[in-house]
Parts: sequence; C-alpha cells; structure tokens
Amino acid sequence: MSGDTGDRGLTPIFTKAFGVLAAAFLAAMVGLTVADVVLRSFFASPIRGMLELIELGLACTIFIALPAVFLRREHLVVDVIDHFARPRVVRFLDRLGALVSLGVLAVMAWQMWPLAQTMVEFGDVTSDLSIPRMYYWIPVLAGVVASALAVLIKIR
Amino acid sequence: MSNLAIGLAGVLALLGILFIRVPIGVALVLVGMCGYAAIDGWRTALTMVGAVPFELASAYSLSVVPLFILMGAVASRAGMSRELFDAANAIFSGFRGALASATIGACAAFGAICGSSIATAATFSRVAIPEMRRHGYDAGVAAGSVAAAGCLGILIPPSVILAIYSLVAEQSLARLFAAALFPGLLLATLYVLATVLLARARPQYMPKVPAMDLASRLRAARGLWKLAVLFFLAVVGIYLGWFSPTEAAAVAAFAAIVIGFATRSLGLRGLLDAFLDTVYSSAMLFFIIVGAFIFSRFIVLARVPYELVAWVNEVELSPAAIVLAVVLLYFLLGTFLEEVSTILITVPVVLPLMASIGYDGIWFGIFVTVMATIGLISPPVGLTVFVIQAQNPDIPVGRIYKGTLPFLAADFVLVGLLIAFPALALWLPAALRM
Repeated sequence: MSGDTGDRGLTPIFTKAFGVLAAAFLAAMVGLTVADVVLRSFFASPIRGMLELIELGLACTIFIALPAVFLRREHLVVDVIDHFARPRVVRFLDRLGALVSLGVLAVMAWQMWPLAQTMVEFGDVTSDLSIPRMYYWIPVLAGVVASALAVLIKIR
Repeated sequence: MSNLAIGLAGVLALLGILFIRVPIGVALVLVGMCGYAAIDGWRTALTMVGAVPFELASAYSLSVVPLFILMGAVASRAGMSRELFDAANAIFSGFRGALASATIGACAAFGAICGSSIATAATFSRVAIPEMRRHGYDAGVAAGSVAAAGCLGILIPPSVILAIYSLVAEQSLARLFAAALFPGLLLATLYVLATVLLARARPQYMPKVPAMDLASRLRAARGLWKLAVLFFLAVVGIYLGWFSPTEAAAVAAFAAIVIGFATRSLGLRGLLDAFLDTVYSSAMLFFIIVGAFIFSRFIVLARVPYELVAWVNEVELSPAAIVLAVVLLYFLLGTFLEEVSTILITVPVVLPLMASIGYDGIWFGIFVTVMATIGLISPPVGLTVFVIQAQNPDIPVGRIYKGTLPFLAADFVLVGLLIAFPALALWLPAALRM
C-alpha cells in the first residue's frame, strides 16, 4: 500500500479532482445529518427522506473517489513476496496485477450497464422523495468505468 | 467436481492470487465470479457481479464507515494525539514504566476515536517514541509498545472494524460496541500490566522518570476533554437513544471539526486533507467490501459453511478443538492478510461453525477483532510494526517484534479469557437491555 504515484502530467490533477468532488458529497452527508439531528431534536421537524439522501451521498462519495484510489495505486495488496522476490519480479507482478484489475473492472462495468439501462427504462423512483433510481446508479457505473480507465493509463 | 470441492479450490486460488500481489478487492471479485460461474453458470455469475456494487453503494448501514473514518482523520489532523499523550503522562507519571503505560493509555483513547491502527501507530511513533528514548528507554520496548497499543483502538468503540463486521454478520452495531467496551479496556489494562511486569523483570529497559508535581498533572489532564467529547457523542449518544450509529458518526465528525477550528489546531488545509484521506481510504475499503460480498456469495453457494459444520459434527470434533482451530486459523491469516479483509472473507464461513457450538454473533465479532489486533503485530507482516520502522529507520524490525512480545502474550490472555468467559463481552449489551 504505497502512495507511490510517480506522478507526471495530469494524474495529480485528476486524482485531486475526484477526491475533492467525493469530499464535497461526504461533507454534504455530514451537514445534512447534523442538520437533521438539530432540526429533529430542537424543532421537532426532521428532514424528509434522510435515508435516501444519505444513501445517495454514500454512492457518490465512494464511487467518485474510487478512480482516485486506482490513480494513486493505493490498493491493499498482500506483500509477503516482496521479502524474497527480486524487485524486477515484483514490478512484473504489479503489471500483471494491473492487467487483472483492468479485466475485472471491465467485466463489472459491462455487467452493470444492462442493469442500469433497465433501471432507466422502468423509471423507478425512491419512495419518499421520488428521486429517480438512476441517480444512484450513474455514479456507481461512472466510477467503475473511470477506475478501469485509471488502471489503463497507469499501466507501465 | 462437487460444489464443495469447487469452494475449497476457490479458497486456495484466492490465497494464490493474493500471494502474487493482485489487489485484495480485485482478487476477491475474480475468484468469486469464476467460482460462482463454475457452479451455477456464467449467466448468473455475471449478473451477480453487475448487481452487487449497486446494492452496496446505497446500503444505508455502510454510511457509518466513511463518517467514523472522517472523525478519526480530523482528530489526527488537529493534533489531538500530543495533548492526549501529555495528559496520559500526567496520570501515570511516577513509577517505573510510567511512560510506556502512558503511551498505552493514550494510544487506546486516541485509537478508539481514530479507528485506524496504522494511523495511530504512525502518530504515536512521532509523539511517544522520541520521548521514551530521550528518557533512556530501550528502543525495542519503546517501538513495541506503540506497535501493540496502536491496535487497541480497533477494539475499543467506536470501531470501524466492528461497523464492517456488523454488516457482514448482520449483527446490531450498538450491541457490538457495548460488547467491545470491557474487552477493550481489559486489553489496555493487560498491556499496562505487561509493561509493569517487564519493568520489574528488566529495569534497565525502562529507567524511572521523575514524577510530575500535582499542579502540572492537573494542567496536562485537561487535554483529555476533546476526545472525551467525541467519545461521548460517538458512543454514549447511541445508548442514550439520541442517535443512530450513522448519525452519531456524523455528529462526532462535525464536532471534531468544530473543536479543531475553535481551538485553532485545525485549518482549512488540514480539513481538506482530512476529507481527502477519508474518501480515498473509504473507497479503498469499499472496493474490498464489494469483492468480499461477491466472494462470499460464491462460498455460500458452494455450501462451504454448511458442509464444514456437517463435517465437524460427523467427526465429532470437541468444541475445544474447534475453538483452538479457529484461533489458529485467524492467527495464520493475520500474519499476512490485513484485518478488514480477514474478517470479510472468513466470517461467512466461520460464524456458522462457531454458532453451531453455541457462540453467538456478537461474541464472535469481539473475538475476531481481538484476533485482528494480534495479526497486526505478528511477524512476518505486522503492518503497524512496519509503519513504525519506516518512521524510525534506526530501530531494526527484529527489535520491534521482540518489543511487542509481552503484548502479544497479553493478547492471548484476553483470547483465553474471552473463550472461557463469554460474559466478558456479552454482559454489557445484556445489562443495557439491547
């Protein structure tokens, strides 16, 4: 879990952009929850549909930040092998790991697409605030696709 | 191949793929998907892989995870560790081993709020190790006590690990927090005891430091209030029925920000960094959680947990042998796998087994968390040990491991006590009528 980004060019900008956008959603989750607790406790008027808003905030926070994790190459790996393999072997394995990651993310995105499409066609909405269900799916799908791209540009 | 054979092959394949440095989350998705396909065909396997991320992305109960991480990140950035160490020092000051005991107390309190053993160890390796060495402490003992005590926080509530466990094991988080309180405090006490015994046996490792006078003790102890407020909001608030766990986490994170700004220990720069730390590590954890859910769907489909329980019944293994085997399993996994992954991967299999011999899910959550603290400091891959070594390159890894030995012994004492007296964990949730 090294934070080795070996950054050149646009990578740090994109990383930061994903991070800041995700942070904005996290801040919204904190702000809304605190506001809800205050309003509920002191004014007996909770915010309607908190559950749905928090869930939306969670989906956005996590999946917008996900590409940044891949750009930072920060994923947890078991590094037992580092202690006895040569650095050249470790570098090769990392490249292999990146290819596997790319494949897995691509399969995930490919399988999420039809589910997202069905969701749009049916036009489902949430029960309290009538938020279209697809708003929950867009960040997830986009995050996985962007993560696949992030792995792709970081393969060296 | 029978389904069970596929399941077991999947477990071995996972270990092999992890060994060649494939990211943990990716490896879990890959093995889970292929294994599921081997049993039930590619059509259903692929559909499941597409559906799980959506299901988890909007799981309300998971929202507690980034919020607790945020509270910890803010507390770290606001430098609450230094004041806490001074306060703990003021409390313990005056006997041989006091400085190490203070480190343990401060790590326990800070780790509880911070939630990350690695961040706690990193922080206190800057704050406490130089202080101990300045007073002539043995470098290995100084580093070992920080490595071990840095892990206390993952057990003492509020705990991110327990939040994740509560999700996979479908247990109440409030009950888990209550159950973790006594074992967590007991473990901290055992660590202090281990320190005092070591100080008696090897006085040359820990020179006596002159006691502080009462006035400076009182002054330093005031530094405790910030973390006390956060603990009150994040934990006590849940039991008073003020907040749900998610609300408690959000309110405590907000309070940490307010306290940081009000005491001028946090600026906008630090706040932004705390938020960025939080979203990156939450996303990383989340991807592992997605992978673990896909993997466990496969394991459950292969009926591994069911067959395991049936097999254990058939060969009439005694409960004691089962418990011993489970302790051994977690000890071995903990030596190379990081703690959240360990819990996510094993709980779907081991929990039914433990349930079949009468241990319940709340108890088991506390048990695996204690086992995780052991994994964090045991060789060859003790994560906190490496973190400390990275910051103190002049202390050899071997000496740090040696320094953690008394605490490792204390860990196993707690494991023994938990197994012998499950009430240690279960009494408080019962007394709170939860």
